[in-house]
Amino acid sequence: MTSQHEHHESPVEDSEITSWKTKLLWSWIFTIPIAVLMLLERFFDILVIQPPFNSIFILAVGFPVVFIFGWDTIKSGVRGLFTFYFNMDSLIALGTVIAYLTGIFAFFGVVLDYSGVAAMIMAFFTTGKYVEAKARGRASQEIRKLLELGAKKARVLRGNKEIEVEISDVKVGDTMIIKPGEKIPTDGIVVKGESAVDESMVTGESIPSDKKVKSLVIGATINQDGVLYVKATKIGSDTFLAHIIELVESAQSTKVPIQKLADKITGVFVPVILVIAVLTFLNWWIFTGDLSRSLGVGIAVLVIACPCALGLATPTALMVGSGMGAKRGILIRKGEAIQTMKEVKIVVFDKTGTITKGKPEVRDIYSKVGEKYLLEIAASLEKLSEHPLSKAVVAKAGLKKYREVKGFKILRGRGLEGNIGNKKITIGNTRLMEEKKISLNEFKAMIKKFEEKGFTAIVVAENEKAIGVIGIADAVKEDSVSAIKELNRGGFKSVMITGDNEVTARAIASQVGIDEVIANVLPEDKARKVEELQKEGMVAFVGDGINDAPALKQSNVGIAMGTGTDIAIEAGDIVLAKGSLVGVVQAINLSKATFRKIKQNLFWAFAYNVVAIPLAIAGVLHPVIAEIAMALSSVTVVTNANLLRRKKI
Amino acid sequence: MICKEVKMKKVKLTIEGMHCASCASNIERSLKKVSGVKEASVSLMMKKGNVECDDSVSDDDLKKAVARVGYKVARVE
Repeated sequence: MTSQHEHHESPVEDSEITSWKTKLLWSWIFTIPIAVLMLLERFFDILVIQPPFNSIFILAVGFPVVFIFGWDTIKSGVRGLFTFYFNMDSLIALGTVIAYLTGIFAFFGVVLDYSGVAAMIMAFFTTGKYVEAKARGRASQEIRKLLELGAKKARVLRGNKEIEVEISDVKVGDTMIIKPGEKIPTDGIVVKGESAVDESMVTGESIPSDKKVKSLVIGATINQDGVLYVKATKIGSDTFLAHIIELVESAQSTKVPIQKLADKITGVFVPVILVIAVLTFLNWWIFTGDLSRSLGVGIAVLVIACPCALGLATPTALMVGSGMGAKRGILIRKGEAIQTMKEVKIVVFDKTGTITKGKPEVRDIYSKVGEKYLLEIAASLEKLSEHPLSKAVVAKAGLKKYREVKGFKILRGRGLEGNIGNKKITIGNTRLMEEKKISLNEFKAMIKKFEEKGFTAIVVAENEKAIGVIGIADAVKEDSVSAIKELNRGGFKSVMITGDNEVTARAIASQVGIDEVIANVLPEDKARKVEELQKEGMVAFVGDGINDAPALKQSNVGIAMGTGTDIAIEAGDIVLAKGSLVGVVQAINLSKATFRKIKQNLFWAFAYNVVAIPLAIAGVLHPVIAEIAMALSSVTVVTNANLLRRKKI
Repeated sequence: MICKEVKMKKVKLTIEGMHCASCASNIERSLKKVSGVKEASVSLMMKKGNVECDDSVSDDDLKKAVARVGYKVARVE
């Protein structure tokens, strides 16, 4: 078993940057003398070295620049030409080699000597590549940090001894000891100790989370003030952090639809430019008869064309955007989502666990037979169900011993039934009672009162006769109100969807400021309701990713809420690591900002090529100027992507 | 027509040597030409390629496709 950390290397490796740096330094050491000679000759008519030795000097000094420091580029470019998989290097290789050869042909008086230009093109090319690689490295800095976040070592108990081991040697079931200020090595459950843990690096949640026995902790988070004994439950690629990394990484190779045109163009760009360059050269030669000038123009066309700016426009912005998101616990899974987001008009929230905390509690009980008895029989049935409402009843009853239940049945979305002794017990919502024709007459007023407070009213019936009502409420998350206010201000229509009845649902919705409510929806019908809403406009669905998977899929943008230490990988286009609705607002803002950046970048990349190539064809640009423009264009795009960070999310 | 149940798999490649956008699109093109490959997308930024293909495609086929255009597969997952 290898640890997750050995699986990921940095997106842009330092070795790539260093390698360009070395090439750049050496290229310029050799190119500067050439440039000085050329400038003196061209602008001041000063010949430092007399012909033909000046040409020999330039050929000799230029050789290593083009063929040694530029060898990787030449090799890759030439291979591209022969295999018909043309790339950027093919253009540079052709441009520099042709320019260099003119220096040799110049001896025979065929053409003027352009060999100095070859060295200068290569020197500027490596400079551009170096700056670009650095900027790309910067674009990936957040993702890089994420990759390096994992702990390297762990202190575990083996026998009775505390030993320090490599993270890859930690096994599920090991007890790890984490002192204050230390990183929690891997996901686990606290078995001893109490402490606050800073989880901001993984979930974006800035308030430290209190941990005690049985609390779940996430690997790579930082223990603050107490000593924790944690039993490892997940290791390697199963951990929360590994899932986040996997998600962010694979998102980088998803496509944003707007990029399609750029991709198509990049695919045919180089061969098209090759043809244009040849035609330009022939055209100039035929019409001017000036071979040297025609070659110069042809070379300028070759080196000015830049598929890189087009190709980098989207991925760099996406990378900066998803890095910024990851830092805040917003994980963009699909590039497409950021484009779709700007069309979204309606945001649908699932109620339980999304707007509310998802931990319902019994708030009030109204009984005809005594509270204790009511809770005892209710809890005995509810014990057998996993439903959150059931858990609330069981918690409230706090029984040590449960009654024996026979013939237990879950009536999905409605309630439960079963027999205790010779009594038939039915527990559920009013809909179930109506179905079973159980009269609610004496309870109607109470039920209404509960519902108006936003409680879910659960009726308990014995032998088809109602004996009590339990009012259960799920508290609204503190920041739901401000998040929804923000969305409403942003012009979104917010809708709450829930299985609760209309009155309860409305009470909760009004607490958080949502106008539209779709109540009484069975879990399996949520997707269909989303589909209906889609007739009005694009829909984003916010839900918990486990129960709401179909609705998340059906919506145009599915936003899955993480639940503490688990993360829904498969559902949702965007996943929120922390369960706060503020994340939804942030995700929307981030998507919009990232998409705007992509559009800007694509605009500049297209505009650059549309303006620059015709200028080169017209012969207005010197090949060296053309190369400088080319290098600047891709650097501009990557730098612009990095500027996305200035945006407040 | 005989419909055979074809099992699809997802392969993740780490690719070395890419340094420009047309590199990535060349690799994509070359991978898609491998018979059995349904979808291929290459990220220049992450140096990763994601390939969706049927089970009959071997790692070597994919490696060769990448090598054909002049790049190297550092790891297959």
